[in-house]
Amino acid sequence: MTSLLQATGLTKRYGATTALLDATFTVTEGVTGLLGPNGAGKSTAIKLFLGLIRPSSGSAEVLGEKPYESVESRARLGYMPEHEALPNNVTASEFLMHMAQVSGLPPAHARTRAADILRHVGLDEERYRRIGEYSTGMRQRVKLAQALVHDPVLVLLDEPTAGLDPGGREEMLDLISRTGHDFGISIMLSTHLMGDIEHSADRVVVLENGRVAQVGAVSGFTQETETLLLEIDDKHGEVTAALKAMGIDAVRQGAVLAVEGADDAKLDAIRDVLAQTGARLRRLAPRRGMLTDIFRNSP
Amino acid sequence: MTQAQGQEVHGEVFDLGYQRYDGPREGRSRARKAMYWDGVRTVIGIGRGGRAKALPVLMFIAAMFPAVVFVIILSFSGEAADFLPGPGDYYDIISLMLFIFGAIMAPELLSPDRKDRVLDLYLVRPITSTDYVFARVLAFFTVVLALVYSGQIVLQVGLILTAADPLDFAKDNWRDIPKFIAAGVLVAAFITVVPMAVAAFTTRRAYASAFIIGLFMISLVTTNILTERQGCDVEAGTVDGRITFEESACKPITGDAAKWISLLNMRAIPLRVSDLVFDRTDPDAEPSVIAGRDLHDSIPILAYGAYTLIPVGLLWWQYRRIRI
Repeated sequence: MTSLLQATGLTKRYGATTALLDATFTVTEGVTGLLGPNGAGKSTAIKLFLGLIRPSSGSAEVLGEKPYESVESRARLGYMPEHEALPNNVTASEFLMHMAQVSGLPPAHARTRAADILRHVGLDEERYRRIGEYSTGMRQRVKLAQALVHDPVLVLLDEPTAGLDPGGREEMLDLISRTGHDFGISIMLSTHLMGDIEHSADRVVVLENGRVAQVGAVSGFTQETETLLLEIDDKHGEVTAALKAMGIDAVRQGAVLAVEGADDAKLDAIRDVLAQTGARLRRLAPRRGMLTDIFRNSP
Repeated sequence: MTQAQGQEVHGEVFDLGYQRYDGPREGRSRARKAMYWDGVRTVIGIGRGGRAKALPVLMFIAAMFPAVVFVIILSFSGEAADFLPGPGDYYDIISLMLFIFGAIMAPELLSPDRKDRVLDLYLVRPITSTDYVFARVLAFFTVVLALVYSGQIVLQVGLILTAADPLDFAKDNWRDIPKFIAAGVLVAAFITVVPMAVAAFTTRRAYASAFIIGLFMISLVTTNILTERQGCDVEAGTVDGRITFEESACKPITGDAAKWISLLNMRAIPLRVSDLVFDRTDPDAEPSVIAGRDLHDSIPILAYGAYTLIPVGLLWWQYRRIRI
């Protein structure tokens, strides 16, 4: 896979504060999540890749170039900030045409691109309204549209679902997913919300306290584990005891009993215990990993 | 294509999906041009609401109005109207309007981009903060220059057309044209950079406008006070049996220092440089009105240089240190 962003030993210090320390990771095609709590170094990483700040040591490369050495490399990048960054007194159409030109597109092409992108983000009907009259969700779409209008190779999205209601958030994540998977524009999605990553991202880079804690495919973190979850409505004590008598340890977690290392023999034993005790079974399934486990398991 | 009778015609809509862009990419040069043209459009109000267009339209009318009035008077009175101001006086006549335009419109170009944080979106594109700010300055300069020239052009055309022999008039006065072009550039540059430098330091348009107007007013009033004439003794006498009064020994309050203090008058500085281009001086004008009148010509020129280059330096410095 082509490397779009490459961080190698990337470190950024602000005086005595270290925002990012020795970060090494690669962002390839598709949707890559940059996950971490506030202060983990996500925004610093984005600024380094956009060339807005220089690294204290190490390097940040975008499409094989160092962005802080040449602004031209930004022509193939898109950026959607977390904060408000839109003018209020112009129409979305006018604004997008202008932003396409600021990204280097000639005026005639900019006009076509602006119309296309506004259609893709669902603002076709509203494109001649002033941005100041838009709702929060519509403004987020304009922010995404301005990041896509010049057809970048890669878009950096900083907390794109911030401030959206559940419906708006779902729509925005669908749009991001479609952009990353159907439009062929790769995305680095910076967020502190694991749900956003699980919904849209293929891979995830986890930052904690300025360091890279984990890197890998999202499916790798959410795949089935060896633990079997047994959810029953009653008789938890009886079932636990009966399993114990058969040499199987079951740990109670609320209404669920977790059995480690499930195999056919254990499944047979569980079936027999349930029949024997008459406990009402609600669910029997292997546990799936969750992104929250990353933070739970990290040192 | 023919349709069989009775067959219903159905349109088909094809969703082409997302189309990749494989057209030209013109990089930083296009980005600079885009910032420049957006700046021009913002000042004139193109692509903005009706209210955004009102002030520029009014200002252009105001800039041309005196010229139109002069031309109308000339057309009725002919060459007898020598008392009317000429091209060399015109910038003085419209200077107050130009300063007001600069104070109101210059912040419009810089302050909202920082207040709304649109600047953050510009600076992640193939453009530097220096490109941005100088494209904006150039855009404003262009509109101010158009404003400055508009009245002069009306006046020049009017003077030629109302002359008894337009061709002779044009031959005799053609030197006014390069003069008003050069003086216009100098006046427009001053009107551009001072307000823009102020606007670079605040995100509030109203604060910037108030500060700029205040700056001009304070410099004007202070200079007037400090250079006011005093000691004008009035001596009574008789001439041919009639009683006369004669002023004598008029000197500014600050004496010889008034020559230098007059350089503080921000309104007078560009007009003085314009007068030097037109090679004209009003000997009867108050010392505060003509910056550095009694000094060597190079002094007001140097003062003009300082008044324009320092704001340019401040603009560059302020935008170099902006971080998003």
